[in-house]
Amino acid sequence: MARQAAFGRLIILPTLAILFIFRFLPMLQAIYLSFTRYDLVHAPRFIGVANFIDLMRDPLFLNAVRVSFTYVTCSVIPVLPLSLGLAILFNRSLVLKNMLRSAVFMPVVMPAVVMAVVWTFMYEQDGVINTILGWLNIDPVPWLRSSATALWAVILIGIWRATPYYMVIFLAGLQAIPGDYYAAARIDGANAWQVFRHITLPLIRPTTLLVIVMNVIVAIKVFAVPTIMTQGGPADSTRVLPLFIYQTAFEFFDMGHAAAMSVFLFAAVMAFSFIQVRIFTQREDSQ
Amino acid sequence: MTTRARKGRLGWLRRRRGACLAFATLVGVSVITLLPFYWMFSSSLRTMDTMFSLPIQWIPNPPNWGSYLRAWHAQDFGRYFVNSAVVSVSITIGNLLLCSLAGYSLTKFSYRWRGTAFILILSTMMLPLEVTMVPLFLIIKRLDWLNSYQGLVVPFLVDGFGVFLMRQYMLSIPTDLLNAARIDGASEFRIFWMIVVPLSKPALVALAVFTFREAWDMYIWPLIIITRDSLRTLPLGISLFMSSYGTAWDQLMAVAVLGTLPMILLFFFLQRAFIQGIASTGIKE
Repeated sequence: MARQAAFGRLIILPTLAILFIFRFLPMLQAIYLSFTRYDLVHAPRFIGVANFIDLMRDPLFLNAVRVSFTYVTCSVIPVLPLSLGLAILFNRSLVLKNMLRSAVFMPVVMPAVVMAVVWTFMYEQDGVINTILGWLNIDPVPWLRSSATALWAVILIGIWRATPYYMVIFLAGLQAIPGDYYAAARIDGANAWQVFRHITLPLIRPTTLLVIVMNVIVAIKVFAVPTIMTQGGPADSTRVLPLFIYQTAFEFFDMGHAAAMSVFLFAAVMAFSFIQVRIFTQREDSQ
Repeated sequence: MTTRARKGRLGWLRRRRGACLAFATLVGVSVITLLPFYWMFSSSLRTMDTMFSLPIQWIPNPPNWGSYLRAWHAQDFGRYFVNSAVVSVSITIGNLLLCSLAGYSLTKFSYRWRGTAFILILSTMMLPLEVTMVPLFLIIKRLDWLNSYQGLVVPFLVDGFGVFLMRQYMLSIPTDLLNAARIDGASEFRIFWMIVVPLSKPALVALAVFTFREAWDMYIWPLIIITRDSLRTLPLGISLFMSSYGTAWDQLMAVAVLGTLPMILLFFFLQRAFIQGIASTGIKE
């Protein structure tokens, strides 16, 4: 029995070691660095909360927070009805269902960097999107070239990629709803809207919460797409927080401010990831 | 057509109106999801002077395969591809092994601090790379792992979510089965390898696909620690190509196809596992 427990401890050790060195240690160090001035050349110097005070006054940081906030809200909210709607459409018998599902799922398969390159091409002034808009008699949109539209262009492809991902999760949630409920509702003469409103929606609530939380966490971290498509421009309109942290740390070598921003980002993510972990452990209790 | 047949068909249409609407909507959505793929591929076969020509030439004629060759010669994409493959496969194998060992430990053994270990592992899900990248870079630098495969692979050999996934699945493996093997004198490692691993196959396949996709997609981390050309991964190579040959769209689309192809192949061969891997991020196994 003791040997058994020893084996059990032994096999979890590598996991704990890796997670400690490459996740917890950096987090602690990020908190430490956020209170220092550090340029990679001279030793870190403790300066208290000066970095945080600087940030509150830094228009570039405040801009990055605003851009990230807009990106998160505007890319998360539309994905909800879209992915749930698609999941509901797929949760019935259909001709060519598997083929259609694969087709709709495809954006999940495209790597983020490829997506950035391909959509940059499609967003060109005389590119395919403006051509298609031309068929509908809509004037060409400057997309990535104007600070008024660039962030929306980036948000649009965030939605394009996230929708099928969460559709799959919603579909799994829908399939867990017992068919009896729907049968009973049909006998009682409920129409499609009533069924959706009073059966699907309440029973899908835990999945909905999880989708919101996961999607927010993914959206807060968005980096590759704005970095490659616009490098944060034009006029800082797409400079999301992770991109600004990256530039502060690895282009301006200002580790202190970058760490302070990381701590800020951590606080923002944590509120949401805490809910996610709670959902995961709550299932535990109900088991 | 007789009136009766027409009535029959109309009745059928009316009864199936919901299905027809759903079908039409999904076909419309498919056009939106597939257009970028189609446009990427067809543009990789265009020549630069027909790239934006109107009316749109949906099927380039003749196809210009030269763009693939020229991109291949401009940068060492073969090398980037191999690098990406080595890194992604290593990370995937590491996760399969370590996540299943940890999951096994957390479900089928009892020892002090087991609950604490589980909470610690779960809480790493709250520490995304974007938060820890600055100090993680310093740690990798101190280990002298900048510009190395170790630096790209080791920090990601295990993942809190993967452990969670394996643990949830392994809860359903009957402990009696393991005890029976113990009575027969099987060693602990043999039990893991011959009983636990085969029984966990569905979860392992889902984890593999999920991990591989994330690893193949990785951009910010290689961007930070890799400066040597011979160690660049495919996403780095593509973004570099974009910044140095920004408007050579035919070649850019060719390398974009190259970057997507492995994922498309993986998806078509392991479709169920792929979708299961995503679905398992949301539901209880």
